[in-house]
Amino acid sequence: MNPLPEWFRPIAEYILREGVPQTLKMAAIAVTASVVVGIVLGTLITIRFLPLQALIRLYIEVWRGLPILVTVLFIYWLPAYHIGSHEIRLNAYASAALGLSLWGSAQVAEAARGAVQSIPREQHEAAAALGFGWVGRHRHVIVPQALRRLLPPMVGLLVNIIQNTSIAFVIGVSETLETANRQFENVSSGVAGPTAPDYAVFLIFGFVLAIFFAISFPLTRLAGYLERRLV
Amino acid sequence: MFYSPVEILAAFDLSFIWDYRDELWDAFKATMKAAAVGVVGSFAIGLVFGAIRAHRIPVLNQLVWAYVELIRNTPILVQILFLYFGLPRLGYIVDTFTVAWLAITIWGGAFNTENFRAGFEAVPARLREAGYALGFTPLKTFLNVTLPIGGRIALPSSINTYISVLKNTSLLTAIGYAELTNVATNIQAITFKTFEMFAVLAAIYLTIVWSLSALIRLLEARLALPERL
Repeated sequence: MNPLPEWFRPIAEYILREGVPQTLKMAAIAVTASVVVGIVLGTLITIRFLPLQALIRLYIEVWRGLPILVTVLFIYWLPAYHIGSHEIRLNAYASAALGLSLWGSAQVAEAARGAVQSIPREQHEAAAALGFGWVGRHRHVIVPQALRRLLPPMVGLLVNIIQNTSIAFVIGVSETLETANRQFENVSSGVAGPTAPDYAVFLIFGFVLAIFFAISFPLTRLAGYLERRLV
Repeated sequence: MFYSPVEILAAFDLSFIWDYRDELWDAFKATMKAAAVGVVGSFAIGLVFGAIRAHRIPVLNQLVWAYVELIRNTPILVQILFLYFGLPRLGYIVDTFTVAWLAITIWGGAFNTENFRAGFEAVPARLREAGYALGFTPLKTFLNVTLPIGGRIALPSSINTYISVLKNTSLLTAIGYAELTNVATNIQAITFKTFEMFAVLAAIYLTIVWSLSALIRLLEARLALPERL
């Protein structure tokens, strides 16, 4: 027996088939970019070279300080322009993914800086004594140890990015919230068959809340568990 | 329309902003109004609910836990739309400002509950016991011992939440609340002055956010507890 009303089935299927994969794909892109760029920047900022440190600091403070939506809108508004013969213009999906990545990489960079600096000096000295240069020392000794300390905040970041993909709704990307809103407009205007009952809004947007909760809650739990285990 | 980066820099012209000063000033006030209510509201919620969580008051503790987990594990934009479309169906006809402050207060309150809970729980039990030994009632102990010490511990993280509350007002553009991001979007749509508009918008947000971050560092130094607990 299906406890959900008949009119809701196609709506739920549409959101799960069209919206949720887009949300997860965007989150995967943004998290990957954030972690790679963030760890590189967070490691580079530990080098005592003032211009480089100032530049990375500016990157971190700007993209962390701005509301993500403002960053996303700016990228989305950018006119097309040429670099050589290449025309560069980002669509809504790419704009949102890039905006999230800028914010996420700034978050990771700040966390990675703390984690890299928390590795004791002796580790640097021991690695140097083994003949490692700066790159090899960080690549094989320091960063792998820092990664362990970074794991809990990275899971937290994943949760944040999954939730923040909903910001792409504002510029019309077909992610979970946008597909739900579309369906809500359809059933409340009655264009797609008979008008749904008054409680449709709670069922549809409640469904979106439930989807995000089902993804985020276990991850939040995992982050808490890792924090207790690893620190 | 194609631009090279050099052309963009050459064409950078802020004078048009002056023509929109009234709109931007109203938008700034709208942002600050929603943020102010949101900050005060989430402070009150965080204080009361944080105390409930820290003292594990039966039933209320579980209810507050459910509220915090629900809000923290769902996107604030979905919560905003849920309220915006949902409240009228329940018979509450409200303006966008009401939805605006309500949504960000509910969100900020959940995060602030965690800040204050952590702060109150960081106060060692022996300090509370000392309060009881002096004949204080549980409420008096909370007000005179747990709150001054735990509140100080919670202050930096709670200001971080207020910064997030302020940044989240930008999402209210989705329901047409005429705050900074909403008005900036409209101005950009009319003028196509993308870089100038973004520069102004970014400058306003970063000034507020960076000032509050500086305030956190200042308070952390000023309010540091004189000795280890």
